[in-house]
Amino acid sequence: MTSGKDNSMQFAFLCPLASGLHARPASHLAEVANRFDCECVLTNLRNGLVANCKSVLGIIAADVRKGDRCSVLVSGPESSIATAALQRFVEETLPGCDVPLAPLDGSTQSDTLPRALRRAQVCGLFGTSLSRGIGQGKVVVLSRIALPRDVGPQIQVDVQIELEKVKDALEAVRERIGEKIKTCITPTGSAVLQAELAMAGDVSLRQKVEDEVRQGTSAPRAVIRAAEFFIDLLGHSENEYVRQRGADIEEICLQLIEELCGSLPESAIDLQEPSVVVAETIGPQQLLGIDRRWLNALILEQSATTSHAAILARSLGIPTLVGVRNARQLLTPGNKVLVDANRGFVVPELSTAVRRFYEREREIFKRRKLASVERGRNSGDPHRKTIEVGTNASSGEEINAAFENEADGIGLFRTEMIFLGRQEPPSEEEQAAIYAQAVRSANGKPVIIRTFDIGGDKKVPYLSLPKEDNPFLGYRGIRIYDQHRELLDSQIRAILRASAAGPVQIMAPMVACLEEFREFRAAVSRAGQNLSDREIPFLSDIKVGIMIEVPSVAFALDKFCEEVDFFSIGTNDLSQYFFAADRTNPGIASSFSVRHPAFLRFLRYVVDQIRSAGKWVGMCGEMAADPRNLPLLAGLGLDELSVPAAEVRELKQKIGQLSAEHSNSLLSRALACGAAAEVDQLLAAQSDSQPAPLLSEDLVLLESTSRTKEEVIQEMVDAFYIYNRTADRDAMEEALWAREAEYSTGLGHAFAIPHCKTDAVTANSICILRLQEPIEWDSIQGERVRMVVLLAMRSSDGTNSHMQVFSSLARRLDDEDFREHLLKFETPREITSYLNRQLGSAASLVSVNTSSFGERN
Amino acid sequence: MKLVAVTACPTGIAHTYMAAARLEKVAKNFGHEIKVETQGAMGIENKLTENDIRQAQMAIFAVDIEVEGRERFNGVKVIQVPLQEALKNPEGIFSKIQR
Repeated sequence: MTSGKDNSMQFAFLCPLASGLHARPASHLAEVANRFDCECVLTNLRNGLVANCKSVLGIIAADVRKGDRCSVLVSGPESSIATAALQRFVEETLPGCDVPLAPLDGSTQSDTLPRALRRAQVCGLFGTSLSRGIGQGKVVVLSRIALPRDVGPQIQVDVQIELEKVKDALEAVRERIGEKIKTCITPTGSAVLQAELAMAGDVSLRQKVEDEVRQGTSAPRAVIRAAEFFIDLLGHSENEYVRQRGADIEEICLQLIEELCGSLPESAIDLQEPSVVVAETIGPQQLLGIDRRWLNALILEQSATTSHAAILARSLGIPTLVGVRNARQLLTPGNKVLVDANRGFVVPELSTAVRRFYEREREIFKRRKLASVERGRNSGDPHRKTIEVGTNASSGEEINAAFENEADGIGLFRTEMIFLGRQEPPSEEEQAAIYAQAVRSANGKPVIIRTFDIGGDKKVPYLSLPKEDNPFLGYRGIRIYDQHRELLDSQIRAILRASAAGPVQIMAPMVACLEEFREFRAAVSRAGQNLSDREIPFLSDIKVGIMIEVPSVAFALDKFCEEVDFFSIGTNDLSQYFFAADRTNPGIASSFSVRHPAFLRFLRYVVDQIRSAGKWVGMCGEMAADPRNLPLLAGLGLDELSVPAAEVRELKQKIGQLSAEHSNSLLSRALACGAAAEVDQLLAAQSDSQPAPLLSEDLVLLESTSRTKEEVIQEMVDAFYIYNRTADRDAMEEALWAREAEYSTGLGHAFAIPHCKTDAVTANSICILRLQEPIEWDSIQGERVRMVVLLAMRSSDGTNSHMQVFSSLARRLDDEDFREHLLKFETPREITSYLNRQLGSAASLVSVNTSSFGERN
Repeated sequence: MKLVAVTACPTGIAHTYMAAARLEKVAKNFGHEIKVETQGAMGIENKLTENDIRQAQMAIFAVDIEVEGRERFNGVKVIQVPLQEALKNPEGIFSKIQR
C-alpha cells in the first residue's frame, strides 16, 4: 500500500473470482466503497479501464476477469479507513462472495433425438440445457418488453422538476425491489435481487440520467438514453458475463420508465395450468413474478447461459433450455409440449410415441433412484456400516446440485453469507424462509444448520466487532454469542421454525469448552419456549451438536458426549490449531498435512471416544473431500463425510467399492508411519478401488416382454443406466446400433450377441436378456432370437482380463450344451454362478487388473 | 488335410472368437487338422508360425478387415470369406476346399 499527497492511498489486488467481477461481487464491492466519505477509483491494469468503485456499473464495465491485476486509489477525508475496509474486503470476503454456477455436465447433450423417438418420426427443437429435468405443459409465449422507442413528444422541460422525478422514481424502484427481497425464499434469489438493488442505486446510472436531464431531456427519455449508453458500453465487453448484464440494466430502466410514465404493457403473466413459458429472454424479477406452481419448464431463445434469469431458473429447479432459435414462432401458444432438459430439446407435438417414451423414462428414473438407494445400503463390505455422504452448502444452488448428485443430506449448511454484506441483520422471518427452503430442497434428508461463524476476519457493520491482531485465535464463532444474544436467538428461532418442514439439526461453531455448549443449549431451549408461546410449530427434540475445531474438545469428550447429540470434525481449523500453523500462509501450510501421522492419531483418538459413547460423528473439512483420504477416513469409522456438491457422486461410488478390511489395515499402517510423506507414499501405492464386476445379477433380465430388436436394446441399455453403468444411454445405444449396421449380431440357435466398445459405459459389463416370446433379429438363417447376450467394453481401457472373459464367452456360445444351460436357468443367480464357473475364476470377473487390491492385502 | 485360418472382425470383441471356435469344430468333423489365429481386441492370439503356414495345404481368411501380416501367407493357397460365412455356413467353406 502506498500513500500519496492529499491523503490519497493506493493498493492493488488480483481478482480471484472465476467469473470476474460481475454484478453480484461488484455490488458487494460498491457497497463497501459507498460506506465512506471518499473518492474511490479502480483501474484494471490489464486493459487500462478506469471505474468509479462506488458504481456497480462502472466496476462491471471495467471488465475485471479472473487473475486481472487492479489498483484502487482512494482519496478524501475517510481515505484511510476506507482503504483498510476495501483491502480487507478484497482479501477476505471477495474470494468467497460468489458461488460459481456449477457447469452442467454436457456429456449427454446431443443434437439428435433418442433412437426410439427418431423411429417414431418425432421432431424436436434443440437448445442448451441449463437446468436439468423434464417438464410438460401448454405453451405460453412471453412477449419481450423492450425499452420503448418513444415516450411522448420532446418538450421543453423544467430541469428541477425532472430531476425530482428521477430521484423519486429511483427511490420507488429500489423500494419495490426491497419488498421483493423480503418475500424471496431462495438465497440465490435474494443475491440476484440484491445485485439489481445495487444497480438501481448505482451512482453512474443516476449521474448519466441526471446529466441527460440537465441538457434539457425529459426524465423518461433520459432514462432510455442512459440505458442505451450502458447497454452499449457493456455490450462491447469481451466477457460474455458482462455483456449479459445489459439485460439487468434494461429491467431496471423499464421499471424506472414505468414509474415515470405510468404502466407499461403487462409484464406479469398469470398461469392457470401446467405451462411451458417461451420467451426471447427474461428478467430475473419477471421470472420471480411467475407463479411457479404452474411453471413446468422455461425455453429462452437467447443463449445467455450466465444471465441472472438462468441462474435463478437453475436454483429454482425449473427445467430450462436456452438458445432455442425461433422458439416463439415454432411453438404454438396453447399447444402441449414437452421439454427434455436432460438431453436438451423440446418436442412440439405430444404424439403417442412421445408419451410412451416419457412414461417409460419416468419409470426408469424411479428404478435408477431405487437402485442407487439399494446400492448405498449394500455397498462394499456387508459387515461394515455405510458412510453417508452429505454436502457442504451455503446456497440453494449448491443444495440442488448436491441432491442431483444423490447426497444423503446437508452435513454443513453455513449461514454466514446471510449475515454478511448488508447494513442490517437478517430478520427471523427472512432466515426462516431461507432455512425452510433448504430443508424442503433436501426432501426429507437431514440438514445440519450451523449457526453463524462470524468474527475477527469477517466484517459485519451492525456487529461492530473489534479489530484484532490475530483474529483466528480471537473473538469469533460461539465466543461472540454472549454479546449478541438477540441475533443468536433470532437465528435459532428461525432454524427451529424450519424444523417443522423436515429433519433439521443445529450445530455450534468454534466450541472450546463445555460451558460454551451449555450456554448454547440454553439458547436453544429459550428459542423453543418463545416459539411455543407464539404457537409456532417446530421439532421439540431437535438434535444439538458441535463442530470439533478446537483441540481442547478432544480431551473432554467423555463429558461432551453426555450432553452433545452429535459432532462434526472441521479439519481446516482443527489442523491449523493442532499444528499451530496458519493454513492461509502458503510458506508453512504445506508442511502440515492432514495426513500427518500425528494428526491421524489425534483423529483416531477423537473418533474412538465419540463412537464408544455411541454418538454420531461426521467430518466436513477439506480432508473429507480429498478422495485420497477416503480409505483412512473409512478406517477411522466416521459416520458421514460432508463435501462440496460436485464431489458427492464420485465419493459415493468410491465408498461403494471400499473394503473394510483394506481400509483398516491401511489406516493402521498409516498410523505407524513417522512422517506425512510416508503416509502419502503408502496411499499412492494403492490402486484405485475395485471396479464394478463384469457380471452382476442386476444385468440378467429374464422373462422380458420386449417385442422388437429395438425394444430389447433399449431395455438392456436402460438396465445399464438403472444400475449406474452408463450415464449416457443415447450414446451407448448408438454404439450398439453402429455395430448392428456392420452385420447382424444374431448367431442362430436363438441367440444374439450385440456388443459395443465405448466409453459411454462406465464399467465393462455382460448383460443377459431372455425373452418370453422369440423375436426377429435379422439373424443368420432368419432364425428368431430368445436369448440376448450383450457385451459392453470401455474403449479406453485397452486390453485386460475382461477381454479374455468376453472372448471365451464368445467361443463358448458355439457350444450347444452351454447354450442349453443358459436357456433353461430360472433365476439370475443361477446364470451368473454358471457363467462364473464356466468362464474362469470368479476373481477374473470382478477386477480389471489381475492385481486387485483384495489380493494385495 | 492340414489347414491354417485367421479370423478378424471390426470390433474384435465377439465374432472373431466365435468364428474361430466354429472353424475349429467343423474342421474336426471334416477330419482336418486346423490352427486358427484370432486378430481381435486382444491383438493377435494363437499366432501362426512360419512353420505352421509352410506345412498347411491351405489358409482360410474369415475376415471383415485387412489381415495383419498378410505377407506371411505368400505362396500359400488362400480362401477368403466374409467372417459371417464362417458362422453361417462353415460346412460350405470346407466342402469348397475338398473340391
